[in-house]
Amino acid sequence: MIFAAPAVLLALAALPLLWWLLRVTPPAPRRQIFPAIRLLAGLDPVEQEAARTPWWLLALRMLAAALVIVGLARPVFDARPALPGSGPMLVVIDDGWASAASWPRVLAAGDAVLDRLARSGRPAALLGTARTEDGMAPSPSPVMPPAELRARLAVLRPKPWPVDRFDAAAALRAWTAGPGRAGSGASVYLGDGVDAPGSAEFAAALAGIGPVTELRPDPGGERLLLAPREAGGALVAVVARLPVAGPSPPARVLAQSGDGRSLAEAVIEFPPGAASAAAPLALPPELRNALGQLVLAGTASAGAHWLLDERWRRRPVGLLAGDAIGAGTPLLGELYYLRRALNPYAELREGSLETLLARPLAVLILADRVIPDGAEAERLERWVEQGGTLIRFAGPRLAEHPDRMLPVGLLTGDRALGGALSWSKPAHLAPFPSDSPFAGLAVPEEVSVTRQVLAEPRPDLARHAWASLTDGTPLVTAATRGAGRIVLFHVSANADWSNLALSGLFVDMLRRLIALSAGIAAESESGLQAPALTLDGFGALGPPPVAAQALAGDAFARTVVSPRHPPGLYGPESSRRALNLGAALGPLAASAPIAGAVEEPLGAAAPERALGPWLIAAALALFILDLLLSLGLRGVLRRGAAVAASLALLLAAPPALPGAHAAERYPSLAIHLAYVVTGDDGVDQISRAGLLGLSDYVNQRTAAVLAEPVAVAPGRDDLSVYPLLYWPILADAPLPPADALAALNDYMAHGGIILIDTRGGAGGSGEDFNPGVDATLAGLGKALSVPPLAPLTTEHVLARAFYLLREFPGRYVGAPVWVQRQQDRANDSVSPVIIGANDWASAWAVDADGHNPYAVIPGGARQRLLAYRFGVNLVMYALTGNYKGDQVHVPAILERLGQ
Amino acid sequence: MTQASAAGPVQRSAHRAEALAARLPALLVAAQRVAATVAQGIHGRRRPGAGDAFWQFRPFLQGDPTTRIDWRQSAKADRAFVREREWATAQSVYLWRDASASMRWSSPLAAEDKRARAELLLLALAALLLRGGERVRLLGAETPALSGSAGLEHLAEALLAEPDGGSGLPPDAVLTRHSRVVLIGDFLAPLEEVAAAIGRLAAVPASGHVLQVLDPAEIDLPYSGRVRFLGLEAEAETLVPRVEHVRAEYDRRLAAQVRGLGDICTGAGFSASLHRTSDSPETALLSLYMALAA
Repeated sequence: MIFAAPAVLLALAALPLLWWLLRVTPPAPRRQIFPAIRLLAGLDPVEQEAARTPWWLLALRMLAAALVIVGLARPVFDARPALPGSGPMLVVIDDGWASAASWPRVLAAGDAVLDRLARSGRPAALLGTARTEDGMAPSPSPVMPPAELRARLAVLRPKPWPVDRFDAAAALRAWTAGPGRAGSGASVYLGDGVDAPGSAEFAAALAGIGPVTELRPDPGGERLLLAPREAGGALVAVVARLPVAGPSPPARVLAQSGDGRSLAEAVIEFPPGAASAAAPLALPPELRNALGQLVLAGTASAGAHWLLDERWRRRPVGLLAGDAIGAGTPLLGELYYLRRALNPYAELREGSLETLLARPLAVLILADRVIPDGAEAERLERWVEQGGTLIRFAGPRLAEHPDRMLPVGLLTGDRALGGALSWSKPAHLAPFPSDSPFAGLAVPEEVSVTRQVLAEPRPDLARHAWASLTDGTPLVTAATRGAGRIVLFHVSANADWSNLALSGLFVDMLRRLIALSAGIAAESESGLQAPALTLDGFGALGPPPVAAQALAGDAFARTVVSPRHPPGLYGPESSRRALNLGAALGPLAASAPIAGAVEEPLGAAAPERALGPWLIAAALALFILDLLLSLGLRGVLRRGAAVAASLALLLAAPPALPGAHAAERYPSLAIHLAYVVTGDDGVDQISRAGLLGLSDYVNQRTAAVLAEPVAVAPGRDDLSVYPLLYWPILADAPLPPADALAALNDYMAHGGIILIDTRGGAGGSGEDFNPGVDATLAGLGKALSVPPLAPLTTEHVLARAFYLLREFPGRYVGAPVWVQRQQDRANDSVSPVIIGANDWASAWAVDADGHNPYAVIPGGARQRLLAYRFGVNLVMYALTGNYKGDQVHVPAILERLGQ
Repeated sequence: MTQASAAGPVQRSAHRAEALAARLPALLVAAQRVAATVAQGIHGRRRPGAGDAFWQFRPFLQGDPTTRIDWRQSAKADRAFVREREWATAQSVYLWRDASASMRWSSPLAAEDKRARAELLLLALAALLLRGGERVRLLGAETPALSGSAGLEHLAEALLAEPDGGSGLPPDAVLTRHSRVVLIGDFLAPLEEVAAAIGRLAAVPASGHVLQVLDPAEIDLPYSGRVRFLGLEAEAETLVPRVEHVRAEYDRRLAAQVRGLGDICTGAGFSASLHRTSDSPETALLSLYMALAA
């Protein structure tokens, strides 16, 4: 421990004088009202000596005074030794992206350095080694006292770009050359430990100043997200770091949507010594379209964010051929080349037109499939107008029967080029026009077209043509319909009419078309993209800094981020391009320590602790105690009051909450929703949170008053007091034991209602989320005495018990819900069991903050609202039975009344 | 019930005094035994006059109304006799208690202040007197003499309606000659003033009893250390450096005050006694009553 102001300690010598002064001053008299004061007047006391201040009160005051003196002498614990050198000190801080992760420690270390400088009274200057936001090269601040430099240090922020060692070295050399600096300079270097170009020059320039004290962070803190890879249909996150020999904590990469919700997580383990590691992110294809960025959890830095632009979205593509049987034939089938071309880039779906359109679909490719007028055509037309992209390939059938769903009118029949009976030669492709989405793709010489369908000659035909042959006949035509678009390849999808399907151009053209499908207009590759949103040093998206400039569209891959081009999103709202920090940075390497520098760890040792404020505070407390005691001696303060006040503080502890488990012991005192314990903690938590959210919603919206939900185990707990039992089914759940089954059968037979939720069974949007559950449900249905079931319709009481519902979504939509057949009159027609796959508990669930932690799929506030409404109907159905059954007959009654 | 709950401070004070008086049947018996006339309330004046009790027969004199001749007695002799009855009057007792500010004070050693104790004793004594048929009135007040059990409430009302203040000594009021006076107060005023006030009463002439009510703290001076004493009636502050050192002197002065008061009373034909507010009021009431009965 050292004293920063030891001279103050001399004041301790004055304490005996204080003692004497306090002793000769008598304490203030207490005041006493006394009616017989006349008798006291003029009494001559026998002894003139006044009462003395008690010795313990004197000691208390002396102690307080001593504490004040020692506190003002500013004692410091764990003080570091003074820094070398005597002249002004240059504090060099690496404020590039790599420092952001440990920035609070950097600032604390910088503060500690300034503390040490302030103690020895040395002025200092500050130099950040990265370029500033307005693109200026690093330059040191003016030399000023440490107290003033503290404000400059506090506003220093890490930058989202790497440090500039060359410019920093130049700034250091300029500093050394400054007047009066020779021989007396010294520096403190707070580095980020990451190697960068120019490190050697920088180290030399730093050593040129004078003695260097280097504060190095522990390696391994800096982590950088590199470009994710595509592998096997999954996105693989790659994280680079400084190699560390020993084991290190794993990195958690979150896949987040554009609005910041986490959709998936990958935990990446680093082998010892590895510079980078990777792990795949498991994402359903629908969610993958919503991906906005990858984030390294727990790291606030620009390097911990990888922004994803449109190129990373996957769009489900439906494939449908005219000839369903031979479509997949290798080398001959109409879908063979399409599958091969698209499989690495898109999620492919096949099936009937109705099946394909039942789920969200971005692109539908029809290979020589004629759409006859009728319901099918109307449905397809509606889908296109709502934003679908329909790609058609010609073929013998389409040539004979052109239908309505074409971009241009077709002449019946096809034309053959270069056949045995033709003079003409197979035609080649003309270069793509500049306004075509294919613009910029190279046209290979070998692609030739031997047959094609012909468009009706119309004045605006050229405007529809995206690709043409050298003779000017359109090869690819397109037209917009509503929000969607229809694209026609005038050749077949296999190698019959053209060898286009065999070339790499085919793949590129299809990828362009699919990238276009979300409504992104084609952009010219070389156009300038203005910065829209950029990351700051801590990885937060915000408006771009003033120095940010537009970036050419083809320069994104090779641009190193800098103040001119900060990492972030560029371009217009509809087609964002992302510039990422990790794109141009390779694997990280540790920088070499500065030669001859005194090394200290960054923030590893205990920080300096100033003791002065605490001593002064203790002295203040003693003075307050002294005041209370003095008042007590004078009789102003009643002893009881002081004791009562101190006791009141002690007794202000919060009272214990009684009966927290009252609901567990006396469930019949209130209405509780109940859920069956599955044994899977995660599922049970969801059930509980879901029923809690539903209970709150029911309490808000209806007259029913529901208490907290209760977990029950059939066979162990008495089920008869619960009106409704929520039972999520695990795919791998064993059959419940016999007594549990008996309890459940008994419950159903006596008026109870069980909602069985397979959480993602067949037929809904959550189809593959709980694979194998349908088999489990089938086994369960055999064991339970389930009555004959029918799909839940809008005619059922359950659809009208409170709200009038047409669909019954939970987290997922679309799967049918099964209830008891209506004509069974047992139990007042109230279905004892309701079976569905929509994962209602997840949709109902609320967390402690009142948020809904589980996204609904496909999404939207409306879906969650409907889920809650279904829950309310369910509770009402459980509480009131078929009371609302008359509602079902209202139309019939009204009709009868009308007659 | 409504009446009981609506009872104001007047009724409460009267009820409390009644309750205190009701606890003194033995006192009443003693009083009866000591002096039947006093206890009965009707004081025979040992001389002929208006009254109910037979006093004597005397011969008819010239000027006596003939209607007063006792014919039955006259028939027994030659002369005509007149029946004389004893002259009986109801005694008026004047009551006074000190209402000055110094009475409104109590130390932690006493349960109530001196004023409350004085009023309690005054009302209890009045209750006893009224029950005995005496007439009571407040010294210096305009209220008429009160009698009967209803008189107690009127007395209590008059007592509480009287404002605080006063010099701490009985006022110079018009008294009926030979009436009895009961004075209750702390009598801490200078002895000359006390002597003048009591002398005026004795000059009427009137006699009675002086009850000095003091707080135990005023008697014992239980303080210590450095104390600044403040008065209640605008007296100057007195700083006592060490109270324990002046206690003996204070005791002497207080004893002189009490003794001086006793001397003044004896000289004026009054009796005097001292009452501490920490003692029970019954003893004081008994001594008061004994003093009146004497």
